[in-house]
Amino acid sequence: MASITLDNVGKVYPGGTRAIGDVNIQIADGEFIVLVGPSGCGKSTLLRMVAGLETITDGEIRIGDKVVNKVEPADRDIAMVFQNYALYPHMSVRQNLAYGLKNRRTPKAEIDRRVNDAAEILQIGQFLDRKPRALSGGQRQRVAMGRAIVREPAAFLFDEPLSNLDAKLRVTMRLEIKELQKRLGTTSLYVTHDQLEAMTLADRLVVLNAGRIEQIGTPLEVYRKPASTFVAGFIGSPAMNLIDARAVPYLPGTAHAGTVGIRPEDLTVAADGPIEMQVQAVEELGAQRLVHGHTAGEAITITMPPTAPLSDTLRLTAAQDKLHLFDRQSGARIE
Amino acid sequence: MIENRPGLNILSHLVLILGVVVVGLPLWVAFVASTHTATDFMSGTIPLLPGPHLIENYSRMLDSGVSTSGTPPVARMMLNSLIMALAIALGKIAISILSAFAIVYFRFPLRGLAFWCIFVTLMLPVEVRIVPTFQVVAGLGLLNSYAGLSIPLIASATATFLFRQVFLTMPDELVEAARIDGAGPMKFFRDILLPLSRTNMAALFVILFIYGWNQYLWPLLITTDAQYYTIVAGIKRMADAVDGLPQWHLVMATAVMAMLPPVAVVIGMQKLFVKGLVETEK
Repeated sequence: MASITLDNVGKVYPGGTRAIGDVNIQIADGEFIVLVGPSGCGKSTLLRMVAGLETITDGEIRIGDKVVNKVEPADRDIAMVFQNYALYPHMSVRQNLAYGLKNRRTPKAEIDRRVNDAAEILQIGQFLDRKPRALSGGQRQRVAMGRAIVREPAAFLFDEPLSNLDAKLRVTMRLEIKELQKRLGTTSLYVTHDQLEAMTLADRLVVLNAGRIEQIGTPLEVYRKPASTFVAGFIGSPAMNLIDARAVPYLPGTAHAGTVGIRPEDLTVAADGPIEMQVQAVEELGAQRLVHGHTAGEAITITMPPTAPLSDTLRLTAAQDKLHLFDRQSGARIE
Repeated sequence: MIENRPGLNILSHLVLILGVVVVGLPLWVAFVASTHTATDFMSGTIPLLPGPHLIENYSRMLDSGVSTSGTPPVARMMLNSLIMALAIALGKIAISILSAFAIVYFRFPLRGLAFWCIFVTLMLPVEVRIVPTFQVVAGLGLLNSYAGLSIPLIASATATFLFRQVFLTMPDELVEAARIDGAGPMKFFRDILLPLSRTNMAALFVILFIYGWNQYLWPLLITTDAQYYTIVAGIKRMADAVDGLPQWHLVMATAVMAMLPPVAVVIGMQKLFVKGLVETEK
């Protein structure tokens, strides 16, 4: 168990391309941190830098008190779960779990104990003597996690571990990972591009964009007070409406803001609402209904109860404290 | 085929049967000839049914050989061929898997040059470099030895490329997982790469064993001591009978026996061979 500190961490590829810049994160012991961002934002690179699979060109990474910039992955006391599981195909599940421990010359009895413990925690006891190819995707994912658990590492690193699973399994595994992490209390760093996964798993979220941190905060903080238009558009589903302030001059606070953000669920239909929306398309989701349209040339989406009456034009209102204002140039939040 | 027309069926069978006949007839003639006496074969009409001298001819060749041609007994030549073919096949696999490992997984200076050097050797088969190679082997005093028979044929660009392709298909995550699991390069090679290339090695072994077994020019050139004659080169020496007719029945018996080990290797390793050539899942 250990804290992880990223201090001004950066990475520049030999060609001069900057992948990561000025990343500062303090991860407390036992915390579950999710790195989230769109494809190519550098989140996996950052995770791999913590793992030791990518070199660090700027700054310092500390696991516990130890600077690990030049330390081999095996000596960093971390365990990693890969997206495609990366199980050794020719070894049985038991051998897969034990391989890392064997390389560290752990005594045989200790290996057996840890493997059996992990198998019990993950309920993979009956598969221990099978080869990975005889397992389903979910079972392979469990084995991959088992391989991380048996090492009893200072930190777990997850690189999009659920991306290869089907939607239903992803939800159950998500829950299991969360419970497991709480039970073991191991510091975890988890990479995903799925904002729902990020919201549900994280103690704190780190939203990355183009190799830089946009915001760090608890899921609710990030959701309620997105620090920039990027975060506002990325976190939350359906995405927040980002409207040019000039299109809605009648809303309070728009005078000095560039962009007004309103979450779809915060827009309510009211006969005397100031915003007039021309409806273009309707998506029925069962529990609710998504209505897409535009006002003064700006696209907006709202959620409505499935039974509410629809018409070509809706009048909408939003509470003042539900408006998010952002600077026109920088996109940063204005309080 | 999805179509089900009897005409096509008959045609395809005809083509296949023709193919079998073309390949099979010479083999049959060789076998038939090896069961007759020398005179039967020289009479002008080639017999097409096996004669009564099968055991006699074969045991004579295995035990004593044809003394007039200066070749040792077939058993001895078979053993020589076996040693050479095994040394070539295993040596080639060992060397090429190691070079492919170096080329794929290590960044070292002049790596590109090393790669191209291996590539260039593809243009230099034994036949092209046979005189300088002979010079080198003779200079090293390796004439008439198993080392001289096999070592010059061991380096192999083809096998190196094959393993390179195999290694390139291994997912990067596997390498990374092994690194995190604390496996150093050689440990990774032994514990993960070798077991995963098992079928490819088997496929390569079949091909290389036959390649080694069928070597003709090189053994002919560097062996002057009958103790080191290989079977393929030996057949040639037997057929070159000086002052007399070649003893075709005995030559054919030898040829039939020479065919057996490669056949055995192919049949024995058929499953692994096919798997190694078609398997892509890692």
